Amino acid sequence: MEDKNYILFESYLSGELSSDEVAAFELRLNTEPEFNQAFNTYKELSSFLENKLENEEASAAFEANLKKISDKHFSKDELVSEGKQKSKVFKFYKYAVAASVIFFLGLFTFNQFSNPTYSDFDNHGAISLTVRGEQNQQDLIKIAEEAFNAGDYINAEEALIDLIKQDVENIELKLYQAITSIELNKFDVADNLLEDIKNGNSAFKHKATWYHGLSKLKQKDHKACVDILKTLPEHADDYEDAQALIKKLD
Amino acid sequence: MSEKKIHKDQKYIDGLLQNNSFIIQSIYDKYVPKVVNYIKQNSGSADEAQDVIQETLITIYNQASQKKLQLTCPFDAYFFLLCKRKWLNELKKSSNKEVTINEEVLSKDDGTQELAFETSVFGEKQALFSEMFNNLGKACKDLLTATFKIKSMEEVAKSLGVTYAYARKKKSLCIGKLTELVQGSPKFNQLNS
Repeated sequence: MEDKNYILFESYLSGELSSDEVAAFELRLNTEPEFNQAFNTYKELSSFLENKLENEEASAAFEANLKKISDKHFSKDELVSEGKQKSKVFKFYKYAVAASVIFFLGLFTFNQFSNPTYSDFDNHGAISLTVRGEQNQQDLIKIAEEAFNAGDYINAEEALIDLIKQDVENIELKLYQAITSIELNKFDVADNLLEDIKNGNSAFKHKATWYHGLSKLKQKDHKACVDILKTLPEHADDYEDAQALIKKLD
Repeated sequence: MSEKKIHKDQKYIDGLLQNNSFIIQSIYDKYVPKVVNYIKQNSGSADEAQDVIQETLITIYNQASQKKLQLTCPFDAYFFLLCKRKWLNELKKSSNKEVTINEEVLSKDDGTQELAFETSVFGEKQALFSEMFNNLGKACKDLLTATFKIKSMEEVAKSLGVTYAYARKKKSLCIGKLTELVQGSPKFNQLNS
């Protein structure tokens, strides 16, 4: 196919041809099979590229989330069939369950009598960062995870900022930076980051909304907190907690 | 596209598209064990099953986001058929493996077959397009990436330090080049026949 045909395809697809030109173009589509086939492939590739490149962030987030769920599912399967081999993971689950039972019990009894505060909700769970980079990032990731999980937010923040420099598109890292910023009372930084994530298309969008609400709660801006939490859709993970919090604040 | 009624299981397609962990989890709980059994009974391992399932879900996600996939049959049968087809293809590829296939007796109407076939072809085309895109020269790859990410051709031209007209022309020629690569591959003609 000649180059000028491809230029013509593009003009046709972007609606830049005059009506006469369109008629001539469509006549060729009907009469020249080779032209027709090339055009259809061109069109298909355009839509493929558009989707692949435009939604790269969203599909990367989907794939990462899928992998997490899949890994969990299949490691559970192995547990059943291979017995004790993965006891370490199992132990972790037990602790996690125990911790969350205590956490909710605490939340329940405590909240009966007092206004909710940020510290009622600052259980972030243990983080485990998605590794997509080279070996030299591994150390930093380890520092960030350990510091974050130990509640050492100053060092966690430092490591996260370094990681983000190397991987500026990584939304998950930005979410954790935002959480550390809330912990360190750097609300401007936190709110800006969360605002960006909320408006994006990633899997962390609803988490960001939830934390944005918590950030406002910690700033004692209850109205803003409620307004933000009300935007959480029903299928969001934190929907129920958000509803409970809204009820208390309203 | 057919005008058939959308099945209530469309919620699984929508859930995948929204990256809804709850829905993804329920697919793993409800529908994955059957696929794993099938693959294990047909010369596969749990690890291989995990990969097939993951790739299948990614294909469904892509078709949903790119082609507004509408489910006209139960998700269960559709998903199973897709995974099965993918696994049989894998087996064919590595045919040094001893193949024993137990044909399953799940009844499926033509609608399911048709939709699953459409999705398989879509998935294979995606893989082929990605491969061919990677075969493009660096200049084309960079230009196309910029074009579809930045949207405004003026800004693309500016960021690449070329004129608007040149960027426009280059874009069509790069997609043209890709068109030729794709049309020249035997795989594409197979898929399109």
